[in-house]
Amino acid sequence: MSRPPKPLRVALPKGRVMDDALRLFARLGSGVERSALESRRLILPSTDGRFEFLPVKNFDVPVYVESGVADAGVVGLDVLGERESDVLHPLDLRFGGCRLAVAAPGETPYPYLPGSVTPRVATKYVESARRFFAARGIQVDLVHISGSVEIAPLLGLAHWIVDLVQTGRTLEENGLAVVDEVARSTARLIVNRASHKLRLEEHQRLIADLERALDSADRPSPTES
Amino acid sequence: MPTTTLARVPPGSQDLLFDDVRRRRRVQAAWFSLAEAHGYGEVIPPTFEYEEVFSRGAGPELASRLIRFLDRDGRLVALRADFTSSIARMAATRLAAAPLPLRLCYAGKVYRQEPEGGGRRRESFQLGAELIGDPGPEGDVETIRMGISFLRALRIRDFQVNLGDIRFIRPLLEGLAPEGAERLRLAIDRKDRAALAEGAREFGAPAAVARALVELPELIGRGEVLLRARSLASGPEAEEAIERLRAVDALLTPDEREHVVYDLGEIRGLGYYTGVQWEVFVAGVGRAVGFGGRYDHLLGMYGADRPAVGFSLETDALAELLPAEEP
Repeated sequence: MSRPPKPLRVALPKGRVMDDALRLFARLGSGVERSALESRRLILPSTDGRFEFLPVKNFDVPVYVESGVADAGVVGLDVLGERESDVLHPLDLRFGGCRLAVAAPGETPYPYLPGSVTPRVATKYVESARRFFAARGIQVDLVHISGSVEIAPLLGLAHWIVDLVQTGRTLEENGLAVVDEVARSTARLIVNRASHKLRLEEHQRLIADLERALDSADRPSPTES
Repeated sequence: MPTTTLARVPPGSQDLLFDDVRRRRRVQAAWFSLAEAHGYGEVIPPTFEYEEVFSRGAGPELASRLIRFLDRDGRLVALRADFTSSIARMAATRLAAAPLPLRLCYAGKVYRQEPEGGGRRRESFQLGAELIGDPGPEGDVETIRMGISFLRALRIRDFQVNLGDIRFIRPLLEGLAPEGAERLRLAIDRKDRAALAEGAREFGAPAAVARALVELPELIGRGEVLLRARSLASGPEAEEAIERLRAVDALLTPDEREHVVYDLGEIRGLGYYTGVQWEVFVAGVGRAVGFGGRYDHLLGMYGADRPAVGFSLETDALAELLPAEEP
């Protein structure tokens, strides 16, 4: 290939998944200087020049990858289920595990409310919730809110919520319990369709390297240690 | 201001002015000069058609994106969503008696529903060519070659044609319930090995089929990938697909081969494709800028069954890549 060695640009979701992803890339010899991490720069180069990392908001990762601004990205399956984006999903990275669940206050029944009242469900994950309830034949009114979903039943905004559950502690603190599971999620490698074809060898090498790193240590060293 | 609502255009539509127009005209002029030199004659299909012309041949994905309305007599019509569908109707009816092979080319707008906020327009320019009546690999190569020559004529250097054959994949999905087949199709399209392995397990696929499904995302590369794919071919239809791709490869020049990637997981494109099919990718554009393929049964829908192959390219994306005009 006669192309100049340009780094692959990888979009990462700021937060815990990005930390896990950077640890995984570090195992490929493509770590990021601590000073760069602390500098709040827009683009973080890997020390070996193979990648450039682009820290963005969770839900924006698929947007950057689909448009081609980033060649690849790391993002949870929960986000991909919410934003149908036209990208490749070649690899399950196995970290960032969580589940999308229906939760309700202890005294609120599920899946039917007394007197056939139509349940109101508060969630950030409108599309996933819509698909889930439709598949079960349960009619609900969905209320899209963008944060602190777990307080919605307390304040009377909704009967149930659909939200991500990691440890369940936040739910418990708000008097909620999981009553049903919508989906399980882990982080995925996603790849832009055009970049995959135009830089095929580099993408194939990345996928193979990541697969090997994952297999050699079942999962990257977890954050909570 | 009383005119504010009148002053807006609907989302996904827009005015094109001076420079934007000039660039598109340059692309189209280069296209027609190349197409004519190859013996292709220009046709202009109607802007709207009975909607079955698009919905029956091109599959559910395009059917869900038609812009439809009721005609005076109550029949459903749709704005042109795809040139190939219209040209197939034209070639099977008005041109049914024309000597074969028939070489037709076009340039104009297509209209498709697009979700808001996705950065896509609902009307866009396309150009392309259809070769009707040539069943062989020579026909496939004639159209692929035209696409490559055209991109070169536009001085675009970094591009790839992603070439597959749907007959390699079809036997793998045979006998599945529609939802199961749809799930696997999606997993193939996303090169999602995890989902393919899970699907193969869940649907109880025979071992050879399961192996081919899981390998599919890796069956992409230069000519050598066709050899690897041959050992995974499940049955005569899949073997024909490999043989056809090898025949195409043998007809390509070394120069052209540099721009062709074989991808046995290539499943994009419209529902009427029956054999080889391809996508075109250009550096600087994040999605495919063109689709092509063989549609040997589409004309049969109109009573004149004959083999055909063709492709279309996104004029707007190519226009944006053009270098600034020389003085």
